[in-house]
Amino acid sequence: MLRFLVRRFIGAVVILFLLSIVTFLLFFGVPRDPALLMCGKTCNPDSIANIHHVLGLDKPITEQYWIFLHNLVLGSNQFAQGPCPAPCFGYSYHTNEQVWGTLMDRLPTTVSLTLGAAVCFLIVGLGTGLLAAWRRGTLIDKTATAGAMVISSLQIYFLGPLALAILVYQTHWFDKPAYNDFTQDPASWFTGLIIPWVILSTIFAAQYTRMARSSMIEQLQEEHVRTARAKGMSRGYVFFRYAWRGSLIPIVTIFGIDLGSLFGGAIITEYTFGLPGLGNLAVQSVFFSDLPLLLGVMLFSASMILLFNIIVDAAYAFIDPRVRLS
Amino acid sequence: MSRGGRHAYGALSVLAAGALVLTGCSKGGSDSGTDGKKDQENAKRQQASIKFGGAADSTGPAAPVPGAKTGGTMEVLQRDSYAHLDPGQIYVSDQMSVAQLLHRGLTGYKATTDDGSGHEVVGDLATDSGTTTDGGKTWKYTLKDGIKFQDGTPITSKDIRHSVERLFAPFINQGPTYLQQWLANASGAAYRKLLPDGPYKGKHLPSSVLETPDDKTIVFHFKSPHPDLPYALAMSGYAVVSEKGDTKQRYDKAPVVSGPYKIQSFKSGKSMVLVKNPSWDAKTDPIRHQYVDQFNITFNQQYETSTKALLADSGADQTGLSFNNQVDAGNLSQVLKDPKMKSRTVSGYQPYVGQMNINMSHPAMKDKTVREAIAYALPVTPFVRAYGGTDAMEVAGGLISPTVSGYDPSFDPWGKKKKPAGDPDKARELLKKAGKLNMKLTFGYINTPEGQQYSTAMAAGLKKAGFDVQRQEIPSETYYDQVSKLNNNYDIFHTAWGADWPSASTVLPPLYDGRVIADGAQNYSQVNDPKINSEIDRINKITDPVKSAAEWEKLDQYIVKDVVNVVPTGYYKQTQIAGSKVGGLVYDDVIGGVDPRRLFIK
Repeated sequence: MLRFLVRRFIGAVVILFLLSIVTFLLFFGVPRDPALLMCGKTCNPDSIANIHHVLGLDKPITEQYWIFLHNLVLGSNQFAQGPCPAPCFGYSYHTNEQVWGTLMDRLPTTVSLTLGAAVCFLIVGLGTGLLAAWRRGTLIDKTATAGAMVISSLQIYFLGPLALAILVYQTHWFDKPAYNDFTQDPASWFTGLIIPWVILSTIFAAQYTRMARSSMIEQLQEEHVRTARAKGMSRGYVFFRYAWRGSLIPIVTIFGIDLGSLFGGAIITEYTFGLPGLGNLAVQSVFFSDLPLLLGVMLFSASMILLFNIIVDAAYAFIDPRVRLS
Repeated sequence: MSRGGRHAYGALSVLAAGALVLTGCSKGGSDSGTDGKKDQENAKRQQASIKFGGAADSTGPAAPVPGAKTGGTMEVLQRDSYAHLDPGQIYVSDQMSVAQLLHRGLTGYKATTDDGSGHEVVGDLATDSGTTTDGGKTWKYTLKDGIKFQDGTPITSKDIRHSVERLFAPFINQGPTYLQQWLANASGAAYRKLLPDGPYKGKHLPSSVLETPDDKTIVFHFKSPHPDLPYALAMSGYAVVSEKGDTKQRYDKAPVVSGPYKIQSFKSGKSMVLVKNPSWDAKTDPIRHQYVDQFNITFNQQYETSTKALLADSGADQTGLSFNNQVDAGNLSQVLKDPKMKSRTVSGYQPYVGQMNINMSHPAMKDKTVREAIAYALPVTPFVRAYGGTDAMEVAGGLISPTVSGYDPSFDPWGKKKKPAGDPDKARELLKKAGKLNMKLTFGYINTPEGQQYSTAMAAGLKKAGFDVQRQEIPSETYYDQVSKLNNNYDIFHTAWGADWPSASTVLPPLYDGRVIADGAQNYSQVNDPKINSEIDRINKITDPVKSAAEWEKLDQYIVKDVVNVVPTGYYKQTQIAGSKVGGLVYDDVIGGVDPRRLFIK
């Protein structure tokens, strides 16, 4: 197990390293100069040169990349804005704030959004999926399948504003979505996130319904399930003890990937509801050609996806005794 | 005002992308036939000529807003967080709006009417708008008594000197550069050589440039006359910075303020709370009020979100508004049609004027008859439609916006206000006369959704007049780079420009002075006309702002009508909305948005 984890973590670091190189090259490959956005109206080559110098963009790309890596691992005292301990992504071009601090500042929003939504969509999605598989072929199954089909084809940027218009602005049943710090005001943390949770989880729940149903049905047709039934075990026992466990593997795999990418920022949801999370930060970093922030968000999101992939792979061993990690 | 070509583009592209994510292409908008009436309203609304006020005009307190009450908390919904709060770094409109509440400068704009259209430049920290005895080369300012920073320390001429000198420090690189260039008598970024490290390494500006003989007096010395100094000093970028409290880069997040409000908390990217600044004395301030107890500002509110929340008008949003968010294009026509909703909106001009540049460096464009044919043929309707109809864009006659002193609403040499769809017949006639029927015309357009939309229809209009139009797409990221290259191959291309203060001196010289033609400069049409050049020099020396405004307008008319290197297209407009309990809601033409200084809760 330990060897497996070590190997996977080394692999993840290599992937992150490659990803940072690609991001770096892409940023400089796009013909867009961050200095232009800061240069003001009466922009001229001198002012641009000055901004390049202040940002360190006048150095060769390889040197800039080396500085980036160096700061990331060892931190830096070279920034005019102040010290920058490791992991140092530097200071944002646009806001002049430390990137790592900004990431950590926005993380609670994204984590709250993700965990709340995950709880909702796992319970609703898996529940409905199992029910549909249990009652396969009945009206319940058909309704659930058709409903899931329709809902999973909807989009957050359609459902979100619709929910806001009906549930918040017309009926006033719910609070306007907002992020309030859990430690300061748990009640408004909860009420402010209800609608984003519901909307985000609706679409995921529909997908998990379909996945759980088909995975379950597949399992129920397996020979060991038939054998168990033939041995006289009850339908419920076989359903939950035999088939359910087997059907979890693909679900856990997808769940790991989903959770990882949501932790990296639910861009459209955060944007639609104006939540200050990592997704909004990613959009902002692109708009303002903000290289340090862009690299920070990119690598952080990628680490999340890699981390959850490793967790999922490790989890296989617990779910399915046939899997051996070595 | 704030953003010029590049900045404007930056902001507009953000806006465009935002609209894309949320609403797809649902840009509606009305272009119904109420233009005549609107024009009349707008003609009335135009900026009256601005004068520079004396000591009496500069004495506080400001005239009370009719019906104003004190107290209460106002909710402010903003799209972008404030990247900069250090005056030296402030140059974009949302930061300039909030700066009205936080920072004070030597001069400022006092509203002379209650509708936000009349203004006067007065002394803010200074006792008057400035005195010059030699036609604008030497300017003297005296500070008022009783002016203090939020920590209670009095504001002295040392702070003003420090505020000016730190503009030369390398880390100040986002704000306006007028004053620095005038002091150093240099163009571009060459002014930095005058004081390369700012005041931080013990060096100061020589007294031949900046004098502070005592705690109250400041004297600016320029090599050439700059009668516009009172305007320039009113920019938020030249507001006062506390010498004692200067934390350099960190000042940007926590400035020591001098205005009626101070920052209680600022969570960058999330929220900001402003509360009353007890060290601010209304008696010293002819411009601002302090009616509201507290402003709660929330960021990340897209236009659609803030519009819907304010339209719903429930709970805290009843006392809510946005300083800068517009009513989004999708809701605009509906909001303005409903009298109940409309009563909670204010509309006005943004500082930008759109213009189609004709590339004067191309041989084919040197024929004035051809340029006149373009001017007659060019349809402006597609441009107006692309931005959401006449509520968001008004057909332009000249290059000077209605928010700029000297604007002439009757000027319309190419009949665009009457025939916004263009006059292809007349254009065809001219083209025939020049013997250039079916000549090739390369049209470089920006590939934003708006650019795609209007360029197609504009090209069709030009085709009807007998041009063989070749559209060439330019990526929005590099648009202004491409069109400001001297050897670009576009015959015509569209740009927008906004004045930095309500005088055409920040519009006509940078755009049409033939001596500033260079790669990356803003003379996009590459016009070099001896009369334009000499008129710029002459008008720049006029010290009376009312007189110079009239002269700038004459030059505007000469450029548009006689030189025809550019065809004006539209004045950008916007509509903003507030909750039903917001009082003192006025669109200020100089701020280019809601005036935050006069707000109160009903």
